[in-house]
Amino acid sequence: MAARKSSAKKAGVDKAQREFVAEAEEILERMREDLGELSDQRVAGAEVDPDLVNSIFRSAHSLKGLAGMFGFEGLSELAHRLEDILDGLRLGRIRMDNPAVDLLDEAVTLFTALFTQLGDESYEAEAATRIGELVARIETAAEDPSQPQDSLDPLDIAPMLLRALTEYEEHRLRENISRRRHVLLVDTSFEITAFEEGLSEVSAAIREVGEVVSTLPSPGDAPESQIRFSLLVATETPAADLSARLEFPDTDIKTVLAATAAPAESSAAPQPPVEASAAQSGGAEAAPAETGSGEVPGDGATGKGGARGGDLESLKSISDTVRVDIHKLDKLMNLVGELVIQRSAIARIATRLAADPTTSRIAAELFKTHKGLDRKLKELQASVLDVRMVPLRQIFEKLSRVVRRLQRDQSKDVNLGFSGEATELDKLIVEQLVDPLMHVVRNAFDHAIEGEDERVSAGKSREGNIWIDASQRGNHVVIEVRDDGRGIDPTAVREKAEAAGLVEPGQLLSDKDCLNLIFEAGLSTATGVSGTSGRGVGMDVVRTNLSDLGGIVVVSSEPGRGTAITMTLPITLAIIQTLIVAVGRDRFAIPLNSVLETLLIDASEIQRSERRELLNVRGEPLQLQRLSDEFGLDAPPQDRHYVVVLGLGELRLGLLVDRLDGQQDTVIKSIQGPAAQVRGIAGATELGDRGAVLVIDVSAIVEDSLRRRDAA
Amino acid sequence: MQRILIVEDSATMRSLLASTLEELASPVKVLAASNGFEALRLLPREEFDLVVTDINMPEINGLELVSFVKSNDQYRDIPLIIVSTEGSEKDREKGMQLGADAYVVKPFEPEALREVAQDLLSRNPVAK
Repeated sequence: MAARKSSAKKAGVDKAQREFVAEAEEILERMREDLGELSDQRVAGAEVDPDLVNSIFRSAHSLKGLAGMFGFEGLSELAHRLEDILDGLRLGRIRMDNPAVDLLDEAVTLFTALFTQLGDESYEAEAATRIGELVARIETAAEDPSQPQDSLDPLDIAPMLLRALTEYEEHRLRENISRRRHVLLVDTSFEITAFEEGLSEVSAAIREVGEVVSTLPSPGDAPESQIRFSLLVATETPAADLSARLEFPDTDIKTVLAATAAPAESSAAPQPPVEASAAQSGGAEAAPAETGSGEVPGDGATGKGGARGGDLESLKSISDTVRVDIHKLDKLMNLVGELVIQRSAIARIATRLAADPTTSRIAAELFKTHKGLDRKLKELQASVLDVRMVPLRQIFEKLSRVVRRLQRDQSKDVNLGFSGEATELDKLIVEQLVDPLMHVVRNAFDHAIEGEDERVSAGKSREGNIWIDASQRGNHVVIEVRDDGRGIDPTAVREKAEAAGLVEPGQLLSDKDCLNLIFEAGLSTATGVSGTSGRGVGMDVVRTNLSDLGGIVVVSSEPGRGTAITMTLPITLAIIQTLIVAVGRDRFAIPLNSVLETLLIDASEIQRSERRELLNVRGEPLQLQRLSDEFGLDAPPQDRHYVVVLGLGELRLGLLVDRLDGQQDTVIKSIQGPAAQVRGIAGATELGDRGAVLVIDVSAIVEDSLRRRDAA
Repeated sequence: MQRILIVEDSATMRSLLASTLEELASPVKVLAASNGFEALRLLPREEFDLVVTDINMPEINGLELVSFVKSNDQYRDIPLIIVSTEGSEKDREKGMQLGADAYVVKPFEPEALREVAQDLLSRNPVAK
């Protein structure tokens, strides 16, 4: 490696150099990922995402700057060549099929190799040779036909905005004009204290249909407190349509250049040779590439700038939020879970020691230690859980956007109201809840809410209403989606179900049971009950989604008045308390958050009615299910049984087992292989030195048993 | 004490810029933003005497930041240095047209940057 120049010396070379190496490694990692993505897009023959190319360019650019700063001239030179190719690509001077593009991967690999050898002098000569060779090959491969560029002045854009465009942004603007997209200017204002969230919402909404070429901030009407952003947007959506999509306050759209329908040969902008593959496959209508992922996740939030001595405070990045991959939290949670198991083992050892008078004093001390450990572990567990929790607000905001869009598309007036948006759920659950919840809300909008005339003649308000209420109940979160639409007619559902062969004619079903048939796969398909009863497609999918999360969904409805869909979910899947039960020689774990109580009963107390077994609990009949029957286990007849009363939302089921074997904190692990397919099993868990047991999927067992009852 | 705002997305570069500027003859307080958004949020919070910005950054680029500072009555008088990797002459020209007061090429000699910074700071010696 070339000798280090003096540039950085005074700035505390060693420390800074370590930072440089760390950051350069991050950049290389990101480049590898981006190049992989680029190669995927090229193979797929799709139009290459300009933001992706720009992101790789920025990486090379940063590498060049950093390497130069530290006097690694070889590295800097190589980065410079990379930057040239990428600059050519993003500015349309080099075609995507240029052989130089294939050398990018090679260059990044060489870079990485050089890095690991940094400081090894015997390697430096060889490194210089390899860099020299690669640079020569890149130079041969790359061409640089500079394009004459027309002025952008004729565009109706404030000169200030044009002047602030970087060369790359100018190129994107030209490129979009040559593709005959509309060029629009979106002006939007925010309070200066809280512009980021709003701005990123606007940008994200625009990126669904186009490209944000540049974002220029300027002082708002009240310069002290407001900030305005002018977004230069290229899209195939005309201004009026975009304006309908963007229902943000203080947002104004104007057309800078309307797309011309007929391609004029003497176009204002030159046809750049970039993205040849897209051009061949009918370029003009090719949708603008999805740009959401193009932003480089800068190191901003964690800014290491403050690591150097001196004025530490002043260098700290002002954001105090850290983004963490959820899987890292999973790992942390697993570790906590394993610690909890170790703790249980300690308790058992203490119990054994306590039984022997010679060691009972040690046992007492061990118990005390165990107790302290237990307290701290609980705190640790709660803290880790807390980190995973996010408020439902995020989903609710998404839902209101969807409803706004539906309103426009279907010109139907519907109010969407929320409560409990601060209710928190495990991030992973929230992610997986979006689809089913969206589904339920869409159904309510599409099918439940009547047209205006129908509503008025039914004596209802002109606009329909949908409410979403979330609340925490113990270890569960309940989300209810209510509407004041036409409701579901149980008789109509039943007719459909009979026609689909799901229910025998004459079978005895309560209205409630009939309603819940909408969650059956055969019923809620495309030819479902929409129109007559107000429920459409795919409610079975909703039930499956919920059940994957250990939750359930039930429906209640009053014909003519409205419908409520209630979803009950556990707060987290990560770590749970379980009740260990035994049947014969087999043991199972039941999540304690679904257990209402346990009862010890005589076999004679069990009542049989038709083919069901019932137990009278304080005057109410409780349906029983033998765990041995559920899984086909050997269970010798017993005089006494334990009943584990399971409760999920409104549903109750008594699970009959032989013995109770204590409570245990457990981390549920998913299981691979055939057992993973067994319905009623949610996973497996370890009981420290007591081996592994299967964890019961309460929602599946409760639902299946009640369905069997209905079908009986 | 005069205040300097550094806007730079590379942590290493940010750190280098800060340590370089902290060694100015007069004592200064250096604040750093890792992107244009952070800079926009920091600007109204402190009264800065100098802004030092990179050009190629995510979110909003350095030129857009220059444009914002120079088109805003509150900030117009704050001197501004663009520190950017050599390469795009056009972007450099634009930065100067937009009102940037100086341009320093990366890799920079610490002494050279300090000279430019000191010069701009002493032109506007009284903190507003």
